[in-house]
Amino acid sequence: MERSKPYPQLIASGIVSGALYLLLYLYEREILTAFTRTDGWYPALPVVAAFVFSFSHGAFTAYFWEVVGIKGRKK
Amino acid sequence: MEPAAIQFIDLQYGNVLALFAIGFVGGLVSGFIGSGGAFVLTPAMMSMGVPGVVAVASNLCHKFPKALVGAYQRNKFGHVDVKLGLVMAVSAAIGVWLGADIQHHIKENFGEPGSNLYVSLAFVIVLTIVGGFVLHDAVTVYRSGHSDEQERVSRLARWVQSVEIPGTMMHFRTANVRVSVLFTLPLGFATGLLASIIAVGGFIGVPGMMYVLGAPGLIASATELVIAFVMGFGGTIKYALHGLVDIRLALILLAGSLFGIQLGVIGTTYVKPFMIKVVMAAIMLIVAVSRGLVVPVYLTELGRLDLAPRTMAWLQTASFVFLVLALCTGGIIIIASMLRGHRVGAMPLKEPAPE
Repeated sequence: MERSKPYPQLIASGIVSGALYLLLYLYEREILTAFTRTDGWYPALPVVAAFVFSFSHGAFTAYFWEVVGIKGRKK
Repeated sequence: MEPAAIQFIDLQYGNVLALFAIGFVGGLVSGFIGSGGAFVLTPAMMSMGVPGVVAVASNLCHKFPKALVGAYQRNKFGHVDVKLGLVMAVSAAIGVWLGADIQHHIKENFGEPGSNLYVSLAFVIVLTIVGGFVLHDAVTVYRSGHSDEQERVSRLARWVQSVEIPGTMMHFRTANVRVSVLFTLPLGFATGLLASIIAVGGFIGVPGMMYVLGAPGLIASATELVIAFVMGFGGTIKYALHGLVDIRLALILLAGSLFGIQLGVIGTTYVKPFMIKVVMAAIMLIVAVSRGLVVPVYLTELGRLDLAPRTMAWLQTASFVFLVLALCTGGIIIIASMLRGHRVGAMPLKEPAPE
């Protein structure tokens, strides 16, 4: 029997991921200015952002392929 | 306090869509062969007008989270040798750190065209040599009629595995190899050095693990994702300290590549092992042609050649066409071999995998 698809998780992770990308779009200039500063802890910002986006958007994309029905074959 | 004196491009909607699309295909390729998205992404960003060093820095910044997700997914299928990945990554980190310094000095001394020329030449030389070798091997396996089997261990790898250096021997269980770390160290270093130049260390790392250490292609390509994560992470910090990461480019690439990498990972479970080599060689050689075409353009900008503006524009267009061709070729081979693997496989694509 087919397991139920993770629609709630897809929607929740999609909202989080979408919100983060919306913020990037709205505050593009401010973000670029802050993220290219070389003093203090500013150089850590790109690394932190990459992790945050990978967890949120990574979860969304995993649920996406699961909902679409494409899964790997375990040998 | 001051942001780095570097030109960051204005992002148009067309650029965003293009970055998302090439991020997707780059991710698809990376999930499949462990590396390689970047050899399409860096030149593609450069074609949009992004300076070479910013393209590499932003590429690295999108690469490590992508590699993390890819390694996590491929580990579920038992493809990742975490120990081999981490051992290689230690020396790769040193390579990437040194390579970033070289890149920075070239930019300071020779300016933008010098930096672009350096990146393009590295692409042409490495991709032609290694891509040609991998293609030759893939054709040999195909002609031998044993394409269904796991690859045979190369003569070099058999020798490397036979060398016993007391106190340096390590056993890598998933890859099923026992070698001295004195062989993994230079291999990892070269992988890191290349990654810092063109953001794709895998073109030394994956063939190196296959032909020098004797790891199977599937394991080598998945283990590369561990190395890519460590190198991408280290490289991003290094470039970020110089204020060279364009976070917008990195995150837009990540948006597409996380879709692609998960599909590429799934693809590896449906294909014959030698297909990894076919995809790798095909894309490497086409991108080498693409970057080779723009070398005369950068030489003209440096005053070493005298090309007419029309010729330069033509070469840049031709370069971009080859880039798109490389992208499409990789994507099509992967999707086609996934579909073929699905057709001959016993389990339908839409059926859930056994828990």
